[in-house]
Amino acid sequence: MIVEAASIEAGSCLKVDVCIVGSGAAGISMALALSGRGLSVLLLESGRMEHHDPTQALYAGSVADEKLHSPPDKYRHRRFGGATAIWGGRCMPFDPIDFEAREYIPHSGWPIAYEDLAPFYPEANRLAEAGPFEYSADAAFGPGKPMIQGFHSDRVRTDGIERFSCPTNFAARYRERLQQAPDVTVLMGANCTGIRLQADGSRVRAVDVATLEGHRFTVAAQDTVLAVGGLETARLLLASRDVAPAGIGNEHDVVGRYYMCHIAGNVGKLTVKGPTSNVRHGYEVSPEGIYCRRRISLSEAEQRRLGVANMVARLHFPRITDPAHRSGVLSGLFMARRLISYEYSKRLKDGAPPTASVYARHLWNIVTGPVDTLGFLWHWVRRRTLAQRKFPSVILRNKSNQFSLEMHGEQIPQPDSRVTLTDDCDALGMPRIRVDWRYSPADIDAVRKTLDVLVEEFARSGLATFEYDGAALEHDLTRFGAYGGHHCGTARMGTDPHTSVVDADCRVHSVANLYVAGSAVFPTSSQANPTLTLIAVSLRLAEHLVERARARNAAVQEMSGAVAA
Amino acid sequence: MKILILGGSGHIGGRLFRMLDAVPGLDVWRASRRAGNAAERSVQVDTLDADGLRRVLADVGCVVNCVAGNATAISAGAKTLAAAALHTGSRVVHLSTMSVYGGAQGVVREDTAFDPSLGWYARAKVEAEAAMADLVRQGGQAVVLRPGCVAGPGSQLWVGRIGRWLQAGRLGDIGAAGDGWSNLVHVDDVCRAVEAALRMPLAAGQLPAYNLAAPDGPRWSEYFVDLGVAIGATPVRRLSARRVRLDAKVLGPPLKIAEKLAMKLGLPTAALPDAMPPALVRFFEQQILLDGHAAENGLGLRWTPYRKTLEDGADWFAGQTARR
Repeated sequence: MIVEAASIEAGSCLKVDVCIVGSGAAGISMALALSGRGLSVLLLESGRMEHHDPTQALYAGSVADEKLHSPPDKYRHRRFGGATAIWGGRCMPFDPIDFEAREYIPHSGWPIAYEDLAPFYPEANRLAEAGPFEYSADAAFGPGKPMIQGFHSDRVRTDGIERFSCPTNFAARYRERLQQAPDVTVLMGANCTGIRLQADGSRVRAVDVATLEGHRFTVAAQDTVLAVGGLETARLLLASRDVAPAGIGNEHDVVGRYYMCHIAGNVGKLTVKGPTSNVRHGYEVSPEGIYCRRRISLSEAEQRRLGVANMVARLHFPRITDPAHRSGVLSGLFMARRLISYEYSKRLKDGAPPTASVYARHLWNIVTGPVDTLGFLWHWVRRRTLAQRKFPSVILRNKSNQFSLEMHGEQIPQPDSRVTLTDDCDALGMPRIRVDWRYSPADIDAVRKTLDVLVEEFARSGLATFEYDGAALEHDLTRFGAYGGHHCGTARMGTDPHTSVVDADCRVHSVANLYVAGSAVFPTSSQANPTLTLIAVSLRLAEHLVERARARNAAVQEMSGAVAA
Repeated sequence: MKILILGGSGHIGGRLFRMLDAVPGLDVWRASRRAGNAAERSVQVDTLDADGLRRVLADVGCVVNCVAGNATAISAGAKTLAAAALHTGSRVVHLSTMSVYGGAQGVVREDTAFDPSLGWYARAKVEAEAAMADLVRQGGQAVVLRPGCVAGPGSQLWVGRIGRWLQAGRLGDIGAAGDGWSNLVHVDDVCRAVEAALRMPLAAGQLPAYNLAAPDGPRWSEYFVDLGVAIGATPVRRLSARRVRLDAKVLGPPLKIAEKLAMKLGLPTAALPDAMPPALVRFFEQQILLDGHAAENGLGLRWTPYRKTLEDGADWFAGQTARR
């Protein structure tokens, strides 16, 4: 059921088996997976069903460099369903190589392997409504339909696809299921303001809950799970310092460090020879009705040989802000950028403010390409605005066989990229965060080496040419700063408490019953967008909690049996 | 033992007849309103005619009640049947429905209270079950089976019309509006449940009731996507709840009227698009999960896996379409 936190008696202490803090993709997935398993589950949601300004304001904070990172209240949505209210829906699993300790990627290596997560990916796909868990183009669309006709390479893979969620808003999609679940209670307007450990610091005693109206109570759970996202997890752990002075799990100064997003940007020019029908650059629809798109990546062997981070490239159109593309559609987007939400208009606002001449040239593009522009608008309204399953992004008709490559890559984890607390507090008295996101020259270099392979392999094939401006590469990849919303790594998973916060079960090393769900636990960020994997990680954690409860009950029974005997 | 199937030419009854007919030691007959034919082991029976029914049941060891139709056929028919069976000592295996649970949500076991408020069908089925209870109270024998949505080959309700809606783009993945459990059960599982119910030992005054639904059945939206892919109605569309509700509301009444007219005029109704009942659209979001564990234990049922139910239904659908 779903109830208001204000209906809970002030000063009371709720007792449950599992308390999940946060009802975004991770929290909702966990609650659904735990339902029907014999446990009482409490899901704490700070916000409401819809956006609520005073609640959203609790997310405000500062950043070290505004050019490199968005303000902390962007890309995050403090409401039921979390950022699934605005996500783009791109789904693909991490690759097996992502989990390996690679000597050429410092601080890499998960304590679990791809195989440990594999059983949970199909259900994650289902929850995200991205169709069957099938990520090769041949399997999804049948063989003989390559991305570029005739292109074969042992070094470069072009048979991978990504799939798109509706994008599914988890609140709207799963609200009724949670409402009906007899063993799940969702508390709305319930802000976690601290995790209270028992005196020796080894267990969570209770979590403090407060509403914006000042109503306060606590929750004592057998197991507590933080499912509040990559930034807020660090904030909650660091701010809970009454028993652990450095913050919970932070004995070795790891919480908030190794903060990662993705390295992303549009680079270079790919020119494919032959007819435009030789190239599959846009979205294809699978039989289940799912939008899918092809992607280019280096084979794992090639990544190892070159010692580069994992990344993907998609065929993309030229930079929107530069009217030289002569596309009425892109110019139309540029002109409409003020009407588009912050998260999706970022790429329409790069560099210096546009001059009158730039505006004029964009207008000229629109005026001279009315058929294309109107055709695009018609398609957009029909397939996106009015559609239940949204056409995922702007795709232009391929008229020239010329593309830029849209890169999306892993960044090398580094301890100095971090989230810290400031002295400034929010309305509930919680310290606000400061985000200091950093990338390293090695991140740029990995993209460079990968692009060089593409240059070689396209040239070798004789089917296409690829060129890019090496001098502009760093600028192109950091033009928009950290790729928005993909907050990873602040409570990383590992076996060594000196370099990680949680163990392979997502449990905080030093606390017996405190867990972290979501992308905060990712030790490395992969080429993939984080949502699908953070759902899979959460489902795996749910399973672990069920087993733990079972073991606990068995122990209790054994003990009471012994007493009776 | 002589078995008589009432409603033996319908979806479940017809399939049950063929299945039981292959079982050695059973003498299987079916009753219908049309003239009987001893060679095909069918007898003519009006299920509302108490005397006629009593005569037919005279040497019948067990009668299976698969009668469909209007409220009178279901409710009054069951009362007549109970009275006749009490007289002849025949056991009744009565096919009820999950509809007796009405708007219940959550996990539903056999002891869940009835809710006849959702319409004439549920009311008639609840009354029919009451007739069975009366029969047992008076010393007769009965077993009640409450199937979920009976799918697989021959299912017009859960394969045929849904497949046609999918092909017409009128149905698809409807997201949260199709988040209710489908409670699908393969028609052969229902038949096997009937066979077990014929033979199970019964204590005096005992009225066993069993839910019939496979435990691995999907939610509706998932079933619509799977069926759409299986019958080639691809790509399956994602539709808003609003759109499907509008279809039911706006197209429903004229289609229903057209169907009735066509029936009166003797025109083929198969040529008409199926109306989408608004109650059905509401049913797709009802979070009712039929618990079939009792049937596993009491009847020794082993459920057909969902994939097989889906494929059997899709194969039948393809055959139907080919014939059309």
